[in-house]
Amino acid sequence: MSNNNPYRPIEAEVIEVITETPTIKTIRMRPKEEISFKTGQFIELSVPGVGEAPFTPSSKPKVKDMIEVTVMRVGKVTEKIHELKKGDIVGLRGPFGKGYPLDVFKDKEILVVGGGCGFAPLRSLMYSFFDLSGQFRKLFFRGGCKNPSEFLYRKEIESWQKRDDLNMALTVDKGGEGWKGNVGLVTTILGDIDMDYKEAIAVVCGPPIMMKFVTMKLLDMGFKEENIYLSMEKNMSCGIGKCGHCRIGTYYACKDGPVFTYAQIKSFQGIWD
Amino acid sequence: MQTPLKFISTGNLRRLLEALGKDYQVYVPVKKGNQRFYKRYLEPCDDMAIAQVRPFEPLKAFFFSAREKVARGFEPEAPLRDNKPYCIVGVKACDLKGFKVQDYVFDDHDYQDPFYISKRKANLIISSDCSLALETCFCSALGLKPYPQADFDLNLSEVKKGFLVETGSHKGEGIIKENSSLFEEAEKELIAKRDENREQVAKEVEKNIKYNDIPDQKSFKDIIQKNYDSSIWKEEAKACVECGACNTVCPTCHCFLLYDQKDEDKMARLRIWDSCMIKDFARVAGGANPRHKLWMRLRNRFEKKFDFFPKVADIYACTGCGRCISACPAKIDIRRVLKALVANVK
Repeated sequence: MSNNNPYRPIEAEVIEVITETPTIKTIRMRPKEEISFKTGQFIELSVPGVGEAPFTPSSKPKVKDMIEVTVMRVGKVTEKIHELKKGDIVGLRGPFGKGYPLDVFKDKEILVVGGGCGFAPLRSLMYSFFDLSGQFRKLFFRGGCKNPSEFLYRKEIESWQKRDDLNMALTVDKGGEGWKGNVGLVTTILGDIDMDYKEAIAVVCGPPIMMKFVTMKLLDMGFKEENIYLSMEKNMSCGIGKCGHCRIGTYYACKDGPVFTYAQIKSFQGIWD
Repeated sequence: MQTPLKFISTGNLRRLLEALGKDYQVYVPVKKGNQRFYKRYLEPCDDMAIAQVRPFEPLKAFFFSAREKVARGFEPEAPLRDNKPYCIVGVKACDLKGFKVQDYVFDDHDYQDPFYISKRKANLIISSDCSLALETCFCSALGLKPYPQADFDLNLSEVKKGFLVETGSHKGEGIIKENSSLFEEAEKELIAKRDENREQVAKEVEKNIKYNDIPDQKSFKDIIQKNYDSSIWKEEAKACVECGACNTVCPTCHCFLLYDQKDEDKMARLRIWDSCMIKDFARVAGGANPRHKLWMRLRNRFEKKFDFFPKVADIYACTGCGRCISACPAKIDIRRVLKALVANVK
């Protein structure tokens, strides 16, 4: 944090707005002070005078002068974020939370499972994996969306097919629009993964219901509870464990998460709500 | 602190408060009708009620304001108000325990809150023994006594024609030194009288506990986890009207809402007290709400106080002040809930 007031946002300029789907936009920003984040940490993005909301950046952590968030239009603040244009001024606070423990992932076999808007934090994570290519024994990506028009970063993700350090499969719940790939829930493309489930790491990010069923499937496959990393979407507001809104059991999603292992949170109720 | 007890006469206490007024905003409890409130001490007033019992409002309001500006535009400096620090007189043991929870949240934590800390660090706490107990007082069930034992600068025990003064910090010691002419040595009989008074009020609290059959905190372990799916929550939540009064008056409740507004040409970020009993408290913009039912929110309130805080900070976040009992329009009584929870575990 570059100042001693944790509630004060840093000024940032919108440098590009990319329409990803009818309800999702990516906002590319240039902060006027450096914000250095680890993949999986989140920031609070504010529209001046309107309010702020939490997002995990979808961009490369090692790029320091630019930060991107991918935002679904669902509420008051995200509606205003969708109205942003190049040159507009916004506020950024953070980064907050713990992020993904990349050092723990080293020398392991890794399965990344994404659903819908969950591709946003995972894109940043995949960039980090690509940068550290060779330091993981195997890397799998399994992604699913409702339908082809809701596929985030589709061109980019499809281009990952060419990588020889990645085994990738994609699916949509409902086909159409020239979709030639798999049709079915993301749990249907988890069967043919050649890895030692007992030792492997799984990273799951997506809508709560998707994370729930993927987690159950992974446990069935033999993944250990402490090796399944989940992103908890809670009402993170202050970002520093004080305002009380995002509590999960004995944790605050904002400062202890938002990434938790299933082992950490499985005993708490309402984690999928 | 090993400093011997002092005596200060009522007249000299007024002189002391006037002297402290140079460096502090001095607040004293006053009695209006049946309630006690904090009032700025500017001149001697007849309704001053330094001893007696805890005021209607919780002490936290001085340090964690109900409404406060926490950022202005992108200005790096925290918009701290440059007022004189607070000297709060007549603080009771229950509210001193409230400090422990608030300090944990805003200070002894991974992140510091500059607004709370700046006020808290500079403050002067002149606490006081309770000289009476309300029917709703049950502090000793939470391991407290109706007189402060620590966490004050000076403590006052009301005796005939004045107060015995105990020193609790170097700051308090300094106040006595600077104003030494106002203090006398404490006579032995007065100390005996103080101890007698203390025992008398402690007995009144014990009587409350016995009458209402309130369990002791020693029996609170796991009462939330073991009652997680109990019908108690649904039963108790039936009458709740989600007003949040219990949160507002609670000395340990700390949750807040951040919101932004246009302040002339700049953004102003404010924070106001929030209530976990309100439906949207934990809701996310996408619509998911982990506590969409009222009884879940009531359970959450108890979980926070009797499961979360003991686990993370080794403290039950209840002080037995009884404010929530008198504030609740639905007559949800924390004593009754605790009793039911403990009984269900046995």
